Amino acid sequence: MTQFPDLTSFSLESVLTILGMAAVTYGMRLGGLLMADRLPQHGRWAHVLERLPGAVLISVWVPSALSAGTIGIAGAAATVITMAVARNLFAAMAVGMTLVTICRYTFN
Amino acid sequence: MSRPRQPEVGHFDADTIRRGALACLPLLPSTIIFGAVLGVLAAQRGLSLGELLFMSLAVFAGSAQFVSVDLWRETIPAATIIIATAVINMRYVLIGASLRPVFRGRPLWVKVVGMHMVADENWAVSMTQPTLANPGFLLGGGMFLGVVWATGNTVGYLLGGGIPDPEVYALDFAFTAVFAALTIGMWKGKVDLLPWIAAAIGSIIGHFVLPGTWSVLLGAAAGVITAALTWRPDMDDTSPETEIAVDGTTVYGAPEGRFGTDTGK
Repeated sequence: MTQFPDLTSFSLESVLTILGMAAVTYGMRLGGLLMADRLPQHGRWAHVLERLPGAVLISVWVPSALSAGTIGIAGAAATVITMAVARNLFAAMAVGMTLVTICRYTFN
Repeated sequence: MSRPRQPEVGHFDADTIRRGALACLPLLPSTIIFGAVLGVLAAQRGLSLGELLFMSLAVFAGSAQFVSVDLWRETIPAATIIIATAVINMRYVLIGASLRPVFRGRPLWVKVVGMHMVADENWAVSMTQPTLANPGFLLGGGMFLGVVWATGNTVGYLLGGGIPDPEVYALDFAFTAVFAALTIGMWKGKVDLLPWIAAAIGSIIGHFVLPGTWSVLLGAAAGVITAALTWRPDMDDTSPETEIAVDGTTVYGAPEGRFGTDTGK
């Protein structure tokens, strides 16, 4: 139970697995950029590429707000509205997280 | 005249790196707590602290690391873990592609160095910078998050429990909040409306019908296809300069210097 934590042992299997994870992840990061570099700088592709960050960002947080239930949706809405009004990331996060904290405390 | 503009700021300017790090400051509490939760999990699954830190700095992708550590056993299912990592991190192809304007006109070695420390958080913060977005800013945020993430891992690993539940102060909601807020900064005008609605609908459908993080890919695909279909040649005012900054005077997102010394408390 209270063994001294294992700090420095590196097994070969672990290192190889981690290197494999790192290689696929880094490959996709760099590969995405290098692929985009080959796309045209103007026209339809450039237009699509410009819409990409917003589409990815929305697709990241909308499902996670949904899985946090009604409170999560309310918190996300409060965050977006605060950001639109105040244009301050810290304020927007504070409002959303405070609302979620209070709602969870009240309703759970 | 249509040549890509030459970068005015150095590739990895120290001052820009510092500003990129500061811009990610609002993410410190949630990153350190989730890092600690991963540390606790890793200790239970039999990774050594050294292996965990190596993973955190070599892979540097939170959600994939959680799934991988969860799959970790005495006999490591290496193929399963690597495939799971590839599936969860597939969005980095899109994130990498969207970073084109940040690396525009810069040599290959800058891209090779700059693309490692790219997490969702510092990517989103960098993309909403009207004027500062450059590889140094991105790297600064990544280095900051990497140090905080690894610190959290170490604390969690050594304590082996007793970490505050992230749900108590809505720290689990911090990631949703930061991405929701930064979406506002990515708004470039009415052309974004339909692709964004499509992305939201696509990701919601994906959330209900597909496992894991496939919803991100389905939402992004819906947004991209809608953008491609709604494009008209008269929209084509996309000079390289406007690809990232609509107008240099409007300050969105997390501008440097906006966070005083009181923000850490």
